[in-house]
Order: sequence, then C-alpha cells, then structure tokens
Amino acid sequence: MNHLNEEQLIDHFYGKDGTDAPASRHLERCEACAQAYAALQSDLAELSGVEPPVRDAAYGARVWKSIGPLLPVYQTQQQSRMRGWMRGWLGRGLSYAAAGALLVVGAFFAGRMWEHRQAQISAEIHSQQSQKPALHPREDVVVVVLSDHLARTEGLLVELKHADAGSAEMVSPLRDEARSLLAANRVCRQDAAQIGDPALATALDHLEPLLAELAHQPGGLNSATIARLQKEMNKDGLLFEVRVLRSRMPDPQADSAKRSSGGTT
Amino acid sequence: MIRMNQNDHAVIRAVLSGDKEAYGALVMRHSSSLFRVAFRITGNEADAEEVVQDALLRGYRKLESFESKASFGTWIYRIAVHCALDRIRQRNGNDTSRVADERDPEQDQVQVADEAAGPDRLLLSGEIGVMQQNALHSLTATERTAFVLRHMEERTTEEIAAVLGIAPNAARQAVFRAVQKLRRRLAHLRVKV
Repeated sequence: MNHLNEEQLIDHFYGKDGTDAPASRHLERCEACAQAYAALQSDLAELSGVEPPVRDAAYGARVWKSIGPLLPVYQTQQQSRMRGWMRGWLGRGLSYAAAGALLVVGAFFAGRMWEHRQAQISAEIHSQQSQKPALHPREDVVVVVLSDHLARTEGLLVELKHADAGSAEMVSPLRDEARSLLAANRVCRQDAAQIGDPALATALDHLEPLLAELAHQPGGLNSATIARLQKEMNKDGLLFEVRVLRSRMPDPQADSAKRSSGGTT
Repeated sequence: MIRMNQNDHAVIRAVLSGDKEAYGALVMRHSSSLFRVAFRITGNEADAEEVVQDALLRGYRKLESFESKASFGTWIYRIAVHCALDRIRQRNGNDTSRVADERDPEQDQVQVADEAAGPDRLLLSGEIGVMQQNALHSLTATERTAFVLRHMEERTTEEIAAVLGIAPNAARQAVFRAVQKLRRRLAHLRVKV
C-alpha cells in the first residue's frame, strides 16, 4: 500500500465507517505515516475551539418570553373552515357597503373637481396676458457666481501652468488671485452642494489644497514650489476638470430667455 | 398552558390545535442545545442568541410541515444550523475585516513549545484561542459549519450532508478542506522541542 495522504489520514481520524481497516494496518507498519498521523491527531486535539458559555436554567424561559408574543395561533381545520365561511359572508356584506360608499364619495369629489377646474380655466383666461415666466432668482444667481468662479479659476490655472518661477512680477499676482479665489471657493462649494451638484462640489474640493498652497505657501512661491504645484496640477488634471465643469454650467441668461419665450408661445 | 412533561410530538399536536403557549415547552427544552451549536458555528454569544430565536421562530412557522416520524430535536437542530450558516454568510459578506487568506500567518508569530508550562503557557493559551477563532473565521461558511458539526458536535458525514443539504462526499470534502486550511494556518504555532 502507498503512503496515506492527508485526506486519508483525516478520514481515518474521523473513523470513516468500516473502510479504514487497511489504513490501520498501514499505520502499524509505516513509521512515516504513523508520524504524520500523530501530528494530525495532535493538531486536531488542539482544535477543540472555545467552549460555549453555559446558559442558566432560565435561558429557555427568556427565549420564550422574547419570541412568544411574535407567534400567531394555529387554527384547526374546523376553525379555519368556520372562519373562512364567516369571512366569506361578512366580507361579501362589507364589500357591498364599501362599494356603495365609494360610489357616493367618488361622485362628490368628481363634482368638486369639476367646479374647481372651471374656476381655474376662467382665471387662466383672464390672467394670460399679464402672466410672467416663473423665475428662480436664487438659483440663477448661484449659477452666475459659480460660472464666474470657474472662469477665474481656469485663468489662474492657465497662468500657473505657464508661470516662470524666476519672475517675481508674475508670481506675486498669482498669489493674490489665489487668496481671493480660496475664500470664494469655499462659498461656491457650499453653493454647489445646495443646488444639488455633488460633482461640482467634489471638484471644488479638489481645487482647495492647490489654492491654499498658492495663497499661503510659507516663505513665498519659489521656483521649486511652483514646479511642484505645476506637476500636481497636471497630475490631477485640474485644469481639464475645471474646463469640463465650465462647459457643463448652464447659461442663466439663455435659460431666462428660453423660459420667457416658452411662456408666451 | 406549558406542559413540561409531555413529549415533543404531543406538544406539537397541541400547538397545531391552537394552543400556542404549548410551544413554550419545546422552546425551554431545546434552547440550550441550539445555543451550543449556534455558538460554535457563529463564534459569538450575541449572534448565537439571535440564531436560537430565529430558529425557533422559523420552526414554529414551519410546524405544519414537521413530520411526526422525525425527532423535533433533530429537525429544529437542522433549522438552527441553517440560521447560523445564513448568519455567518451574511457577516462574511458585510465584514470587511475578514481577510481569510490575505492575512499573513507571520503576523501571528507566537510560537509555543510543546512542553511549555507555567504562567507563560496560561498567558499564551488565550492568544492561541484567539488565533484558532481567527483561523475558523477564515474558512468558508460551509467549511466552518461542516468542521464544527464533525469535529465538535461529532455528527456523521451523512448527518452533516443532510443538515447542509449537500451530498455526503461534498460534506466529507468540506471537512477535509477545513482541516487542511486550519492546520496550515496554525502550523506556525507549534515548534518541536
């Protein structure tokens, strides 16, 4: 017989019914297999696991207390038939009554609706000439502010991209613009969240560290810092992101015009 | 009215005749044994207690399908194993800390000499227990359940197969894979002296 493999040893350990007599004989003769089997026995003896905590005598009563109220009562077949019969008669009677009541209520509401609709139509006819399109001034203002912010941010990023770190007169305006944009960026981020544009809010969130570094770099903007920020900007694709966002922004003036023309046609 | 001295079949007949309270006798009789197997499979008390309640609720709802030839104890035990299996599957699905084979056994590098004795041994035995639990948690739900039923609950392969609803050979293979994985995972704990 060949040496016993791990699977056979495990089968033998758990005493696979009646088929392990050859394995027993082999283990008596083969020292290598006997050693492997002893190691398996030792390992499995260690794997007794954590002994389950003992539940006290009242445990069953506690379980019953918690599940008892959730259980419905079983009905015998006779009870079920009786209930079914009762339900049938009672249900039929109730359904006639309900149908009648529904008819009366339906007729009442249909009358009310008809009156209301007539009044609405005449009011519409009278006010048609003087009607103005519905505007959403708050939303329009937010869109204008965001568009302006994105335009300025794009300008700053373009300048940063082409900035010559050695030129002080070029670096200084960059820092001033970044300071101004940093404060605006926080407000715009809140506005973006308010108008329900999480993508824009996230993009503005990405911009903030760059603006903060540009604005408040300790020791001013030296050539190494500028080079690093240019690299980061390119790596994160910030300029591209801002351009995409700008292209997505609705034009509030065009929207207003559309709404106006839509109201009169 | 709860009848503690009635046999399970008589109680079931009473329950099905509309005596809901009679089910309390079955709950009290079987809760502890269900808790034991549920604890071994789930590995923690809170889950085990929920499994017991869930199993007894499911048992009540399915009571009409219980065949009078069978033992209620075995029947409800199977339901409890299923509930425990569902629970660990659900937990494994949600638990991002479960790392299974990703975990490096080197991290658990506490080596215990066979003949170690005294306070060191006591101190380490707690850590070893935790490692064994981690190793058990790293098994799949089926492997873990098959191993617990075979090794700790001493159920036969056929019983395990019936409980898990798989073929006996698949049950045997699940036990084999579990033992193999556990031995490999815990191999570093043992150093021959």
